[in-house]
Amino acid sequence: MTNSSAPIVLHTLRCIGFAELSRVADAAGISEADAESHLIDLAVAGWATRSTGEFGAWGLTEAGRAEDARWTAEELTTAGTRGAVSAAYEKFMVLNPELLDLCSAWHLRPLDGATVPNDHSDSAYDARVLDRFVDLDGRADLVCADLAAALPRFARYRARLTTALDRARSGALEHLTDHMDSYHTIWFQLHEDLLATLGLPRR
Amino acid sequence: MTYVHPLATDVDGSADLLGAKAHGLLVLRRLGLPVPPGFVIDTRAGRAFLKDGRFPEALDAELASAVRGLEAATGRRLGDRDRPLAVSVRSGAAVSMPGMMSTILNLGLAPTGAEDTMGQLRTAVETVFSSWRTPRATSYRELHGIPHDLGTAVIVQAMVFGNRDRHSGSGVAFSRDPDTGKQTPYGDVLFGRQGDDVVSGESTTRPLAELAHRAPAVWGDLRAALHRIEQHHRDACHVEFTFDSGQLWLLQVRAGGLTGRAAIRVAVDLADEHLIDRRTALRRVSPHHLRLAHTPHIPSDGGFDILARGRAASPGVATGRIAVTADRAVRMAADGPVILVRPTTSPLDLPGLAAATGTITSRGGPTSHAAIVARAMGKPAVVGATALTVDPMTRCVRAGDRVLPEGTVLTLDGSSGEIMLGDPGTVTATTDAHLHRLLDWADTISGDRSQRSDEQRLTDAQAVVAGAGHATRRTSSPSSAPSMPALPPGKTTGSTGWGPDLG
Repeated sequence: MTNSSAPIVLHTLRCIGFAELSRVADAAGISEADAESHLIDLAVAGWATRSTGEFGAWGLTEAGRAEDARWTAEELTTAGTRGAVSAAYEKFMVLNPELLDLCSAWHLRPLDGATVPNDHSDSAYDARVLDRFVDLDGRADLVCADLAAALPRFARYRARLTTALDRARSGALEHLTDHMDSYHTIWFQLHEDLLATLGLPRR
Repeated sequence: MTYVHPLATDVDGSADLLGAKAHGLLVLRRLGLPVPPGFVIDTRAGRAFLKDGRFPEALDAELASAVRGLEAATGRRLGDRDRPLAVSVRSGAAVSMPGMMSTILNLGLAPTGAEDTMGQLRTAVETVFSSWRTPRATSYRELHGIPHDLGTAVIVQAMVFGNRDRHSGSGVAFSRDPDTGKQTPYGDVLFGRQGDDVVSGESTTRPLAELAHRAPAVWGDLRAALHRIEQHHRDACHVEFTFDSGQLWLLQVRAGGLTGRAAIRVAVDLADEHLIDRRTALRRVSPHHLRLAHTPHIPSDGGFDILARGRAASPGVATGRIAVTADRAVRMAADGPVILVRPTTSPLDLPGLAAATGTITSRGGPTSHAAIVARAMGKPAVVGATALTVDPMTRCVRAGDRVLPEGTVLTLDGSSGEIMLGDPGTVTATTDAHLHRLLDWADTISGDRSQRSDEQRLTDAQAVVAGAGHATRRTSSPSSAPSMPALPPGKTTGSTGWGPDLG
C-alpha cells in the first residue's frame, strides 16, 4: 500500500471488527469521505468487504488480516520501537485488571453480603465508580503517551477515551461500559491493537 | 511490642490484628487441620510500615527469630544449599480483598546464601505491605467501603508444592455447591500444579470430584476437613488447598461464597442439620438473596446432562444453536436463537455477541471483556467453561469425548454457570421447596400470615428476630445490617456469620 492512511483504515478494521463507515472513520480519526475512499480501495484489493443488508458494515477478509499482520510488523520494524511498545503493553496489562474490575463494579455491586445487579439508584455508589474511572484514566494517560511516542497512530485512543469519559462525566453514564463507543469498548480495542501490533495471542 | 506471631494453636488474636486469613488459619490449626507451618506479621507492623516507610523497630529481630523457629520446625534453613527452606509470603488484611495484593512464592527455593535470602525475605515483606496501596487495591476498597488506613498483615509459611509429583496438585473446594446449595462439595482442582494457577484461571482445572478416584486419600481428608470446618463455624465454607505427595494442606478458609438460591438452601439445610436454629437461618438470608433467587434457572433435577460448568458471568438462561464464530452467529441468528461459543472474545466478536441470545467462553473469568460486554448487552453468559474446546476449523465444540457440531441446541444458565445439552426449560424460585420452608418459618416467627411479598415476609421476621436480640437494631436497614465484605463479582458471600470475614 502506498497511500499513507489506507493502512490505518485497514488496521482500524483489524482492531474494531465489523463496523459501519462512521465508526471506522471515527476510530481512524479521519473524515468519512476519506475513510470510504480507503475502504473501497481495500475492497478492490480483496482485503476488506462490505456486508449487504441494512447494516452495511465493513470488515476484513482473511487476506486483509494477513496483510495487516504484514503491515504492522513492518511498521514496528521501521519505527524501531518494539521495545517501547512492549514496555507500554506491560504497563497496560497492570491497568487492565483494574479497568475490568471497575466495569464489573458498574454492573454488579456488593450490598449487605450479596452481589446484586447495580440498578443505579444509589448515585453515591455510581459516583465512586466514576471517580475511580477518572483516576485510572489519569494513569492510562501515561501509557497512552508512551504508545503515541512509539507509534503516532496510538494517539487516537487517547482522544477517543477522553471523549467517552467526558460524556460519562457529563451524565451520559452508558459511555462507561454500555455503549458501542464506551470507555470499555475503546479500551478493549486498544487491548486488541496492542496484541495485533506485537503479534501476541490473547491470553 | 510483639509484631510477629507463629501460626500455632496457642496463639490468639483478632482478625483486626492478625488479618482475616491468618485468623482463619489459626482456627484451622486449633481444629487439628493441616496448615503449613509459618508465622504472621500483624497489621500494626503493616500500618507502621505504610506510615514511616520502614520496618518498625524490633521487627527485624522478631522476623529473624521467627525464621529460626520455622527452620527448627521444618528441619530446613533459609539460604542453605543442601536443605533450603522455601517460603510463601502472602497478604492478609483484616477484611477480604481477594487477589488485590502481592504474593511471593518459592522464596529461598534457589538459595543464594543465608544473608542474601534473609534480605530477599525482608524485601518480599515490604512488597506485600506496600501492595496495600496499589491503585487497584485502592479502587477495590473505595467500591467495597473498606477503610484505607487498615493496612495488611503478612503471612510467611513453609512452601508446599502442588507441582511436586503426580500425587500433588491444588484447588479450591466449597463445602456445598455455591450455586445451588446442594450438600456436595464443589470446586476445581489442578493436578500437578500450584494454587496460583487455579486462581489465575490460566490453566485447565478439573472438577473437584475427580479427586475421588485420582487421589482418594486426599479426597477423604478434604471432605473430613470441610465437614469439621462447617461443624465449627456452623456455616458453609470454602478453602484453598494443596496436596503435596499425597499430603493435604489447607492454605485459606472463607465463609459463604454462595449465590442467592444457594444461600437460601444452605440456611434451611443447616437448620435441618441442627447446626443453626431457624432464627439464625432467617438472619442469614438477605432480601437481596431472595431477589436473586427469583432469576429463572435451569432445573437441577430435570434429568438433563450437565455438559460442562463454567463461571456465572451474566444472569439468565439462554437456549439456542451453537455457533463457533461471530460471523456464523450473525448469519445463523436470522433463523432463530444462537449461542455463541468462543475460546475468548475480542472486539471482532462483538457483532456475534450482539446477534446471539447467549455467550459461552472456554477461558476467562467473571471480569473478562466477554463477561462485561454480555452484561452490558443484558445477555446471559457463562465464561471459563474449561471442559469445552472450540474448533472453528471443523465448526464444532468438543466436551471430553463428545463432539457437538455447529447447530447443536444447548442451554446455558448465566447464574449457575451450568451448560446443558438440549432445552431443559427453566424454573423460578416460586417452585423452590427450600424457599417455601424458609418463608413458612418467617411467618411463624412474625405471626403474620397475610398475603405479601416474599421480601416483606422475610424482613418482618428479621425485625422480630433482631428485636428479640437488640431492641433498637433493625436488620432490614442496609446501614445497620451486619456487613460482610463481598467476594469479587460473580460470587457472593452468603452469610453474616463468623464475626469478622475469613477472607
